[in-house]
Parts: sequence; structure tokens; C-alpha cells
Amino acid sequence: MHDSSSRILEQNPDVIANRLIQKAQHRDGLPEILIGLAFLILAATMWVQLVFPQGSQPYKAAIWVLGLGVPALMLSSQWIIKKVRRKFLIEKVGFVAMKPVNRKRAYIAVSIAFAIAVAAAFAAYLGRGSFPPTAWLLAGTGIGGGALMVLAGRLPRFAVGGMLMAATGIVLAFSGVSLELGFAILYGAIGLLLFVSGTTVFLILVCKPAETKE
Amino acid sequence: MSAKIQRLGEIDRVIHEPARLMIVALLAAVEEADFQYVRQATGLTQGNLSAHLSKLEEAGYIAIEKTFRGKYPLTICRLSERGRAILDNYRKVIRAAL
Repeated sequence: MHDSSSRILEQNPDVIANRLIQKAQHRDGLPEILIGLAFLILAATMWVQLVFPQGSQPYKAAIWVLGLGVPALMLSSQWIIKKVRRKFLIEKVGFVAMKPVNRKRAYIAVSIAFAIAVAAAFAAYLGRGSFPPTAWLLAGTGIGGGALMVLAGRLPRFAVGGMLMAATGIVLAFSGVSLELGFAILYGAIGLLLFVSGTTVFLILVCKPAETKE
Repeated sequence: MSAKIQRLGEIDRVIHEPARLMIVALLAAVEEADFQYVRQATGLTQGNLSAHLSKLEEAGYIAIEKTFRGKYPLTICRLSERGRAILDNYRKVIRAAL
């Protein structure tokens, strides 16, 4: 505590609060489990579309799941996390009522993502002769997604996950796979990684005995 | 000594203490949080956190309310208007001086 104390006093209180909330937000692994699940479903639907002929039942089902299931899961994820925490984990993780989403910050995040996408497209345009566009897209998605994971998570396990995602994207770019298969593998790998790390954190938390209150 | 540096002398000693600054900064960023959440987020021990919360409550910087959520007892902490004003001033003085 003593070492971190002096560092804390050198920091802006907003930075301290953001770091503490970020750490607390990921302490039960639930956000990772849900994001991992969404990526796994996304990868599965892409794989089904590759394997099954167009118009077949599994193909149609994959389209529905991709169009409705994945967005529904993503949109309801915050609500699900809040409900699970308040109903089953309140003794372990405590109770918090967050402030409404800061729109300014959300706009900044979207603008950064858009700028990265434009930069990747521009780089792909400049290097179109030496490297096929499919490879640029896979490498760009892997590196961009990995960077986003590191920035959003700000924990060691997210740094490792981000680097793995970037490495997977680069390996796929050089492997010469089709765009569809490349994305299915990339999303599947990252989904599995997030799901396993989230589940591990969750199980560790659940197995730990609850501490008595003050 | 410049006037900005001299203003460091005006800093409120109650929230200048690192553990209490963590608690106040955390509570400023959320609507309200219970004891367990604050303890997990700050990494303070139960006794330590209790003592710091009492000091902050005495100073009028936070409000503490004991309540229940189902069968689970909650000690809800939230930053008061006074606490928010003190933190804003602390932020300004530190930014100007450093």
C-alpha cells in the first residue's frame, strides 16, 4: 500500500477512479464470458455458411442467428451482467450503481475506431500490389482488435489476449486462407480465449469463500 | 515560490491521504457503491476501509446508508455535494501545481 500511495497522489483523481472501476468491472469475468460467447457464435455462423450450401436449413439458421442472435446478445449483455451480479454475486463482488454512459467518451471511442479503420483501408490501398486485400483485412482486424482489447481491458490478461489476437491475424494474413475462413478462425480463436479466461476468473471467484462484512 | 505552488497548502488533508483519495475518486465516478464493492476495487482491508469511511463521513464528504437487498445487508456509500466540491477543488489545485 505504501508504494502505491505515493504514486496515487501524483495522479489525477479521474485516472485513479477509471483504473479502479476498470479493475472492478472485470473481477468476475462476466463481461469476457459474454463477449467470448458472442465471438464464438459469430465464428460458428460464419463456419456454417462456409460448410453448408446456400439455402440449406443450417445456412438459413446461421443467417438468423447472425442477424438477430449476436446483436441481441451484445445489446443485452450489460443488462445480463447487472442481473447476474445483483442476484447471485452480490456477496462476492458487492453492489454498485454506475453513472449513465458518458456520451462524449462513447463518441471519442467510436471516432478512434473509425480512424483506425480508415488508416487500415488507406494502408491496404497503398500496398495493394504487394499484398492481397484479404490479407490486409485479416491482419488489420487482428491488430486493430488486439489493440482495442488491450486499451479497453487494461489488465495483464487482456494485454496477452490482445497480442494473441494480433498474432493470429498476422499468421492468417500470411497463410493464404479465404477471407471468410480467416475471419471464422480469428473470431473463433479470440472468442475461445475470452470465454476460457472469463470462465477461469469466474470460477476462481465463485470458489473463493465469501468474506464477512464489516 | 509561485502562487500556484503556494495553493498546495490549501489542499484538504482529509482527502489528500492516498486511501481516502482512492475512495473519494471511486465514489465520484459512480452513483453509489456498497462497502464490499469499494473494498474490492480499492484493495483495502475491511478495518482500514471502515476507518477511512468513518473519517470521510465525519467530514461530511460521503453519506453512508445501511439497507438490504433481499436478505443481503448493504452499506451504501455515496459522495455528498460537499465531497464533490472538495474533490473538484483538490483536482484544480493539483493540476495547477504539478
